[in-house]
Amino acid sequence: MNAIDGTVRQVKTDDTPPPSLLAIVLDTNPHAWAHLSSTLPLSSAIANLLVFINAHLASGNANEVAVIASHSRRAQWLYPTPKGPISHHPSSNGDANGDIEMNGVSHPNGSTTTTTPAKENANKYRPFSTVENAILSNLSNLLSSTTESDLASTPTTLIGGALSLALTHIAKSTLLHSPVDPLASDNPLSALADSESVARTQRIPLTSRILIISVSGDLANQYIPVMNSIFAAQRKRIPIDILKLAGDTVLLQQASDATGGVYMKPERPEGLLQYLMMAFLPDAVARRSLVMPSAGGVDFRAACFCHRKVVDIGYVCSVCLSIFCEPNLPGNLCLTCGSYLSLRAAQTATPALVARKKKKRKRVAGTDSATPSGTPAATTPMHP
Amino acid sequence: MADSDYDFEEDASDDEYIGSKAASGRSSRASGAVGLGKRKTQEKEKGKATLAWERRGSEASIEYDLELDGDLDLGEESIRQSVQEKEEERKRKRLRKDTKPFQRGIIRHVVLVLDLSEAMLEKDMRPNRYITMIKYTQEYVREFFEQNPISQMSVLGMHDGLCIRVSELSGNPADHIAAIQGLRFPRNPKDIPKEPKGSPSLQNALELARATLYHTPSHGTREVIIVFGSLLSLDPGDIHQTIKACVRDRIRVSIIGMSARLRICQEIVSRTNAGDESEYVVATDQELLRELLLATTTPPVVRKDRSAASAESTAALMMMGFPSRVVQDVPTLCACHGVLTSGGYTCPRCAAKVCSLPVTCPSCQLTLLLSTHLARSYHHLFPLRNWAEVSWRRAREKGSVECVGCLAVFPKPPPEDPEAGARGGGGGDDEMAVDGPVGGGGKKQAPEDEEESEEQRASESSRYECRVCESHFCIDCDMFCHMVLHNCPGCLSHEPGAG
Ligand SMILES: [Zn+2]
Ligand SMILES: [Zn+2]
Ligand SMILES: [Zn+2]
Ligand SMILES: [Zn+2]
Ligand SMILES: [Zn+2]
Ligand SMILES: [Zn+2]
Repeated sequence: MNAIDGTVRQVKTDDTPPPSLLAIVLDTNPHAWAHLSSTLPLSSAIANLLVFINAHLASGNANEVAVIASHSRRAQWLYPTPKGPISHHPSSNGDANGDIEMNGVSHPNGSTTTTTPAKENANKYRPFSTVENAILSNLSNLLSSTTESDLASTPTTLIGGALSLALTHIAKSTLLHSPVDPLASDNPLSALADSESVARTQRIPLTSRILIISVSGDLANQYIPVMNSIFAAQRKRIPIDILKLAGDTVLLQQASDATGGVYMKPERPEGLLQYLMMAFLPDAVARRSLVMPSAGGVDFRAACFCHRKVVDIGYVCSVCLSIFCEPNLPGNLCLTCGSYLSLRAAQTATPALVARKKKKRKRVAGTDSATPSGTPAATTPMHP
Repeated sequence: MADSDYDFEEDASDDEYIGSKAASGRSSRASGAVGLGKRKTQEKEKGKATLAWERRGSEASIEYDLELDGDLDLGEESIRQSVQEKEEERKRKRLRKDTKPFQRGIIRHVVLVLDLSEAMLEKDMRPNRYITMIKYTQEYVREFFEQNPISQMSVLGMHDGLCIRVSELSGNPADHIAAIQGLRFPRNPKDIPKEPKGSPSLQNALELARATLYHTPSHGTREVIIVFGSLLSLDPGDIHQTIKACVRDRIRVSIIGMSARLRICQEIVSRTNAGDESEYVVATDQELLRELLLATTTPPVVRKDRSAASAESTAALMMMGFPSRVVQDVPTLCACHGVLTSGGYTCPRCAAKVCSLPVTCPSCQLTLLLSTHLARSYHHLFPLRNWAEVSWRRAREKGSVECVGCLAVFPKPPPEDPEAGARGGGGGDDEMAVDGPVGGGGKKQAPEDEEESEEQRASESSRYECRVCESHFCIDCDMFCHMVLHNCPGCLSHEPGAG
């Protein structure tokens, strides 16, 4: 039957290692970094991160990096630099040296960190300094534009927005790297497609991953956006790695578990660089031959919507999927959507095995008294 | 210059089919403009096989349009531009139309009926309809459970006037995919692969589907989706009685036809969908077949009139178990397959161990799933609204330079031109007229909301604007955000009120 499709499609193989795109979401929540300032000040964390980014860029010619800050009230690009109308103030206090000290100034607001140097350091590999300068100047702009009212209004961070930005960026880069078959690559299904006649083609695609360096605790207000991001990453086969320097959230644990990423919560945050280099530098290909740190048991139980109590048997509204811990709702109305609910098991015990018998049709027709003529004899072949 | 864009596009579409036939032997002089050239020359030597590729939809036709247009002697830039617009338009048409916060039937019970009759041997899809259908339905099943993790499906097949059961009602996509695959490549080597033969019977199919759905709980939907390639139905009795019975059992039938519309299909669909015929669509080529199939993965809107008729059927409080994962050193038997496995999930009610979720506990019938499975349906309940096309005027006003999502640079707005504004609307109408032959494919009932009722079109400025946060996005991000991510990066990266 296959012979009808006479095309011979060749799969070109390329021996170069696939380019790897690393999207880093840096949680810059000022509250959390203030807590950490005694062990790991933001500035030295940034210095460590830059070393890690350089290592990533150095480990492959075509490797790319994207850095997004998940700040208290906005998520913003650190690298590449957006040119958009959301203009950033040109940096004024230039430091002569583009490098910053590993144990730099420990100011949580980072107001004294270095910014874009006026001239380039001739001894530095050019791509390194480009990335470094962009990140440093964008970050200092971000921090200096944070007002006190911003800080006062929320203790959390916009991780959902930052994740979404990372995913759209990765999706676009992936598209750009596989220009030959746009029809397949823009469709979420292509990865699942049966390869029978779909041309498996062309270039080695971009492998991407996301690393979230998280310091914030409660992310409950971001539940739906983060969940949506997790599913998108899962479908696009993008692992989400989590480096949890402080706080604890089940949400991010689930993110790494669902996408096959690494979850790590180091005991001593000051060893940041060590953790980054050892656990997060290997890309998806290398990880296959390494024993990666795993999160162990992941808490999958659900929290009820009424008391935030963790339950293992819950009652779910069939309309809005809210979870309740007990079936006795006031007036049998769903607390979330207000639908009238009748209690029953999600699945009635289906007598599926009965339906398998040859006489199933008669049984159905029997229950249906209003079908006088139609007892279709299913087992009799009907030829024209 | 700008004026000619739309007109010229319209012409191109009219001539599209002839063009693609005639062009097979021509040299591709304009192909460089789109970068499809390489692929084409590869395909070209293959003679007849090119036909199959040509049919693979607009990808092919775009290129050939180009050649036609080359004769018209238009500037290269405008060609590129209109090709791009056309491409974007094609993509946007695929956007699911589920952006309105309707109440949807999240818990679905679907019977997928496949036509295995001799009409499926037609070669208007490549290599033939049968193989195409088998291939796409496997994709479809996966996508279906991706979108509807707590739903159930069963697959039936129609041939020789019979309706056979391909797979039982279950929530496990692997079962269905294996069963569909098994039609062509039986797992038991003694079985002969099924080849399409005989005639289909819609009545038998509906009856068997009705029997399958008979015991499903009433808070879920009962849907029958028929892929119907023939132009006849060989029924043993009065199909109208069967339709009546289906209506009474609140089964909704969607039919994806091929090649032509049938009166009886129209009637079945309209009767079982409260007069709405939009669920009957005809796939004229394989790309469309795939798109139409995928369109049914979106949970159906719960109709108000129906809920009034049988109030108890709409909502229920379902008991569900959220099992915890166990890690075991010693393998133990699982309750679902009876094989030794180490690790799995234990039912919180009866402590039976199952291998994967979601599943109905084999011993106590409790539905077991993860809270993340529920979360996966949230985007149907809180959909991301479609983004609006951005006119040049608006683009100038907002001064957007690059896509908020991926930082891709947008084309610069052309210099201010008083005529430009007036032209935009007219051009759009022309395009509406062009997409005629689709035959209502994908056009759902007109929603009340004027803003959203518009066809999703390409934007002249290549920008798409989120109506909430007014961020501008490129077409790729538009597609990605609406089809995969279901988040607006713009809305999420600025808390309301923040600078
Ligand atoms: Zn509760
Ligand atoms: Zn509810
Ligand atoms: Zn099992
Ligand atoms: Zn159980
Ligand atoms: Zn974009
Ligand atoms: Zn938005």
